[in-house]
Amino acid sequence: MKLAYFPGCVSKSTGKEMDVSTRAVCSALGIALEELEDWNCCGATHVANELVATGLAARNMAQTDLPIMTSCSICYSNLRSAAQRMEDPEVKGKVNAVLTKKYSGAKVRHALDVIQEALDKNDELIAVPLKDLKVAPYYGCLMTRPRGVDSPEFPTILEKLIKTLKAEPLDFRLKTFCCGGPIFMPQEEAAEDIAYKILEEAKKEGVDVIVTLCPLCHLMLDAKQKAIENKRGEKIGIPVLYVTQLVGIALGLGPEELGLNMNVVSPMPMVERVYERMAEEA
Amino acid sequence: MQDLEFRKEVLKRAGPEVLTCIQCGTCSASCPTAHLMSPSIRKLIKLCLEGKKEEALKSETIWLCTSCQLCTIRCPRGIRPKAVVAALKDIAESEGIKGKDQAYEELFLKQIKEHGRISELPLSGEFLLCYPQAAVQAMEMGLEMAPRGKIFFEKEKVKGREEVKKIVEELGK
Repeated sequence: MKLAYFPGCVSKSTGKEMDVSTRAVCSALGIALEELEDWNCCGATHVANELVATGLAARNMAQTDLPIMTSCSICYSNLRSAAQRMEDPEVKGKVNAVLTKKYSGAKVRHALDVIQEALDKNDELIAVPLKDLKVAPYYGCLMTRPRGVDSPEFPTILEKLIKTLKAEPLDFRLKTFCCGGPIFMPQEEAAEDIAYKILEEAKKEGVDVIVTLCPLCHLMLDAKQKAIENKRGEKIGIPVLYVTQLVGIALGLGPEELGLNMNVVSPMPMVERVYERMAEEA
Repeated sequence: MQDLEFRKEVLKRAGPEVLTCIQCGTCSASCPTAHLMSPSIRKLIKLCLEGKKEEALKSETIWLCTSCQLCTIRCPRGIRPKAVVAALKDIAESEGIKGKDQAYEELFLKQIKEHGRISELPLSGEFLLCYPQAAVQAMEMGLEMAPRGKIFFEKEKVKGREEVKKIVEELGK
């Protein structure tokens, strides 16, 4: 299978491990990724003018005839929103008038869905079953919004993948509650307050790891976890993995291939426990 | 004072369904930052429909929206409160209203317009010039990112910059 890959702006910096692990996992699953030609920013959550946001996303979608895959749920949501808005002939006309390559429709997929499909065909690729690993499935907001992907509020697609990896998905109450990420620069306290709610819930539930689908959720829960701990005077210490990293561990890929050294809260003790458990059972 | 022009502008951008708001408060009850908002998102929509431009634009409410869209998927009238917020940000921008939150959005769009992509480090640096109080959190982040090879100093640029600039300028008119 061949897909156009949209890495998104964070792939070079704060979300580097998302990009690294996406490429490694797709390669292991036999999915060929062709980086989307000259891609631009999708607008994230910071472009108030809807027509501009649609234009930015449409330019990306017009670069290829292949289905487009991204690991970032913000890019995913923006491309999907734009595709929905481009069904309006008036919007499509205005946008195509400024595009060099014209938009004529696109299929947009999240890595989660691509990976599930590959594992459904061949689950023997799971070399390291993640037995007894308690995973908090954290979707954040934009994976399932706008409508059209699972339930926008009570989705189960991530739990399904976690089960495919033989791990245990927890019934995580705040799974589609916002992490605060989009406002973290100008509204630090407000953003950290809501990120703390998610971490607090995960701690109360005794999870081994939180899994995210979005680089902003990851930043709030992982990169900011120590700052949140310091402000609250409370230890949390829960590793937060991108879904592609969790899948990579189950496929038996190594820490470097998955960028596990880039996570702020080290997932290595958790990974070691997974391997110890597997050795005990063998 | 009622400003009907303002009300019309909001409806044009966020959709005529805003008129059907029944003030049920589902949006406010769903909002992750509702506890910090004054007026609430429900009241903000009322202000727009009443044409109370000054009150609607001066509040911090629109800058506390995280774009999570929970209000939008739950609204029983099919209104997109998030689109009302976006409309107000857009109107604030054209009115020349300044502030730290507005500065962040402006810098973000400027980087897209000039380079086609966002480079996080230069964006944070430019924001600190407008709002030095964010320095502590930027330092905290930098200390976590740098040793993990997650800081990228260059500004990423796309080849089709002229096209991207045209998208921002022409479609943003």
